[in-house]
Amino acid sequence: MSDALLVLVLPAMLIWPLLLMLRVPLMAALADRGQPRFPLDGLWCTAPLPALVLALSVDEGALALDWWLFGGFWLLDGMRGTLLVVTALLWLLAGVYARGYLAGEQARAVAGDEAAEARLMRFALLWPLTLCGNLLLLVAEDIASFYMGFSVMTFAAYGLVVHSQTRDARMGGLTYLVMAVLGEGLILAGLLWGAGSAGTTTLGGLREGMLEAPNGVWIGVLLWLGFGVKAGVVGLHIWLPLAHPVAPTPASAVLSGAMIKAGLIGWLTTLPLGETAAGEGFAWLGRAMLVSGLVAAIGAALYGVCQRHPKAVLAYSSVSQMGMITALVAMGLVAPTLWPALSAAVVLFAAHHGLTKGALFLGVGIGEHPPRLPAWLLWTLLALPALSLTGALASGLDAKWAFKAVLHEGDYTIVVTWLSLAAVGTSALMARTLWCQWHVERQAREEGLEPLVSAMPLAWLASLLAALTLPWWWGGELALRGLPPLAELPGLLWPLALGLAGSLGVWAVARRRPLHLARRLPPGDLWWLLVEGWQRLRVRGQGSLDRLVSARDVWVAWWVARERDVVRVLDSMTRAEEWLRRHAAVLMMGVAVGLALLMLTST
Amino acid sequence: MSGGVLLLATLCTSLFTALLIFLLPERAFRARTGLNLGAALVKLTLVAWMVWGLSRGHAYALEFPVLEGLAFVLRADALGIMFAGLSSLLWLFTTIYAIGYLEDSPNRKRFFGFFSLCVASTLGISLAGNLFTFLIFYELLTLSTYPLVVHRGTAKALAAGGVYLRFTLTAGLVLMIGMIALHVLAGDIRFGEREILAGLDLDRRPLLVGLFWVLIAGFGVKAALVPLHGWLPRAMVAPAPVSALLHAVAVVKAGAFGIVRLVYDVYGIELSAELGLLAGLVAVASVTILYGSLRALAQQELKPRLAYSTVSQVAYIVLGIGLFGPLGTIAAFSHLLHQGLMKVTLFFCAGNYAEELGIHRIDDLDGAGRRMPLTSLAFTVGALGMIGLPPVVGFFSKWYLGTGAIQAGMPWVIAVLVASSLLNAAYFLPILGRLWFLPGPDHGVGEWPEERRLGRLETHAWLLVPAVATALFSLVAGLLAGMPFSPLEWATRVVNTEYLP
Repeated sequence: MSDALLVLVLPAMLIWPLLLMLRVPLMAALADRGQPRFPLDGLWCTAPLPALVLALSVDEGALALDWWLFGGFWLLDGMRGTLLVVTALLWLLAGVYARGYLAGEQARAVAGDEAAEARLMRFALLWPLTLCGNLLLLVAEDIASFYMGFSVMTFAAYGLVVHSQTRDARMGGLTYLVMAVLGEGLILAGLLWGAGSAGTTTLGGLREGMLEAPNGVWIGVLLWLGFGVKAGVVGLHIWLPLAHPVAPTPASAVLSGAMIKAGLIGWLTTLPLGETAAGEGFAWLGRAMLVSGLVAAIGAALYGVCQRHPKAVLAYSSVSQMGMITALVAMGLVAPTLWPALSAAVVLFAAHHGLTKGALFLGVGIGEHPPRLPAWLLWTLLALPALSLTGALASGLDAKWAFKAVLHEGDYTIVVTWLSLAAVGTSALMARTLWCQWHVERQAREEGLEPLVSAMPLAWLASLLAALTLPWWWGGELALRGLPPLAELPGLLWPLALGLAGSLGVWAVARRRPLHLARRLPPGDLWWLLVEGWQRLRVRGQGSLDRLVSARDVWVAWWVARERDVVRVLDSMTRAEEWLRRHAAVLMMGVAVGLALLMLTST
Repeated sequence: MSGGVLLLATLCTSLFTALLIFLLPERAFRARTGLNLGAALVKLTLVAWMVWGLSRGHAYALEFPVLEGLAFVLRADALGIMFAGLSSLLWLFTTIYAIGYLEDSPNRKRFFGFFSLCVASTLGISLAGNLFTFLIFYELLTLSTYPLVVHRGTAKALAAGGVYLRFTLTAGLVLMIGMIALHVLAGDIRFGEREILAGLDLDRRPLLVGLFWVLIAGFGVKAALVPLHGWLPRAMVAPAPVSALLHAVAVVKAGAFGIVRLVYDVYGIELSAELGLLAGLVAVASVTILYGSLRALAQQELKPRLAYSTVSQVAYIVLGIGLFGPLGTIAAFSHLLHQGLMKVTLFFCAGNYAEELGIHRIDDLDGAGRRMPLTSLAFTVGALGMIGLPPVVGFFSKWYLGTGAIQAGMPWVIAVLVASSLLNAAYFLPILGRLWFLPGPDHGVGEWPEERRLGRLETHAWLLVPAVATALFSLVAGLLAGMPFSPLEWATRVVNTEYLP
């Protein structure tokens, strides 16, 4: 039964969003001119439904398609299933949310603003396409499908990032695209190298082949960095804080909640995690990952609290959280024996972060358009996912306890301590997010309240509910460990307390003497250094660049001159032929005389 | 129908069409169109028939002696029929496109006559059974494309035609010298008789190496290998269907196909590897790939950028040949088809922009996606394929090249591939960004250089349909790469049956 369901629903989950995408221009073409329809209708929102049905009804299964690319092999297992359900749910809720979020755009389109209409159309087209890529990469076990899903998602999402077409949006889009292309290149190199050495077309084969390949570690490094662009590895994370604030809020939610998890999926499916046979090289790779993860986790928190825009703060929080996940994944290389227990915790953490971060991003829009709720209730609801993300309650507490217990069992207390320090940073980040939202909300509240029963608040509330109760409704491996015993609570909660106390302290100081850190530390950190460095290099290198250009011109001119010489020789040859023809008679005579002389002398 | 007759019929379809077109008066538009399309369809059917026959084990061959020890040989082997299939399929689309493109322009009789002659010679190249026959059609191709390149008759076109002719005729001469020397050395070598050269005395080896590079220099001009590529960007003055033809179907491909024949069927891949020829090929190809991409990046106009992109992409085929091993061979053979599909799409689209909106420069393309959505979609598919993103066919070539390089023990080739992908992204993505994400005249910003409304659709249907069709082909051939008779599957079959080292 479940096999038949898989065979039907797995392709349907990929085809359905594409059909809905094709429907958008079709409906626009059929509609009367000058009467713009709202492309984000109820049916459009159902794009992730088949995926959700699949994830909820089928636990495990595989589908092989010989005719597809190099031979498709799609797989559903515990890890993929969990991330699939989270991804599909988040996309569904964010899609519903988008209906409300873009209603203003629709009003402008109806009023005759063609640019708004075009933007809306583009959003309606690219949203399901991005979703389709995201779903494909989740279930793909063959490399070609995986890479296809990854790149479809990456490039389609560019359109979502630049949606508003402002200068900032273009800037964010540019960083997004530059980093994405760089990442694709690294991934391609890693995949080709790995698949070539192992002679395989599946990710599983790649992972095993990497262990035996002489340069396996370098393949691992390429894949780590390539996927790291998406997952926000420190140094490669610069697109996150620039792209998130400019994207429409529902797009930010799926970007941070679902799409950056694609990098994690890449690591989980390609790196030889938990392989005791992996050599010392991979252990060193693990150590590098661990350090970079912890640096990202703590550094992003420190930088993020200086941001002003709530979405930029949340983006830095994503970098920080992904840093923690990176550190946990790294443990699979450093301490392979821990991995079987740790992998479940990593998946739980990722799933929890996906939904919770989604709820937080959707909450930013709610703060800008507050629904008809009493202020205390609204703020409680906004604070709940923030608290959960710090690991103080609900799914966050569950996830934190899960990996902390495993690490304690494996005697890696030092890692736990560093992760707890990162959690202090998370608490500060969350305090900062809510603080930023506070101002916005006060302003918006004076302008009037939105009805509670409409797309945006309902989607937000649903995402909140889903995020907080994730381990309990999803069950399976995730809920195995359950909530921590009471005695462990102080050990889990002190980062929150410390973070809050620190935030209060800084706030008290800043109230008296403003720090103006936000102005000095723009979002995108290293990007600006790179841009400045590049410009300086250009100014300084202008002379050598000019020399290079003139050298190239000389080079091209030299070749063209040689070409002309050859042509001249060729042309003179044809003239020579003409000369020969004109003097043919004399020449023949000469030849005859010569021959005769030759014959005479030889005899 | 017996084998030889079928071959001859396929070849003569285009030859007779050429003859008939020259006989028809200039104003007989309908008759000429019908004749063109009919012949293209008949030829496609005949080639499809031969593909089917070959897959069931039939043989098609025809030969007659010309001189003592020299024969004119036509033979359909799996490799040749692959190239013939590509050229007949793309020919159909190019014919349709050319009919739409040249509507109401003068000298159509001359154009289509030479056009058909050109397809006949391409078919002859693909079905030739030895170097002698190959060379005959190769020269015929040069001569029949010249009138197409200079079709417009402007001073610039004539100058480009002059350059073209000088490059290719000299190359033909070099090729002939090499061929004659080879003939003197080893007699008439049929394609596939690899044992003849392999069995030569060891002291002849240096001579063989020298001849190899002479022949490569001859083929390298048409295949546009750096530094023999100078004619290609200048031939861009030709009308769009001719550019499509030069770049995707006939001329450049004929050069690449010649190198394939030389390495696999005359020298044999083992002998080439033993003589150390392949490393040289890989080096030449790598330089060409990177140089072509860098030069493409510097172009401000659409067609020259595509031209340099061809220089770089065709070198992929040579790179695949140079990677000693089955995967590299599959890459070379399948890229022969894949590059054709993608590049023809891109040129059709470039032609559409020029015809409908008068756009030649890249910075005029802002917002063209809204005005011409289907053309722009087709262009997007082609461009993404060139970058090497799945599911477009370009990814598969890149995949086999990369994995083949690892098998051949040359991991540095992956660096070349990735660098080329990044460069491709750097010169194609800005175009796509302009098409789809920048506001243009249709959003009320500026205006098109020279807008004509050629049809009820976004442009003339005869221009639109081929572009969309070839884009679909390059997409579907990738998605269904595992199906029988897909380009990749056929290339794999050719390699497995004939060229396993």
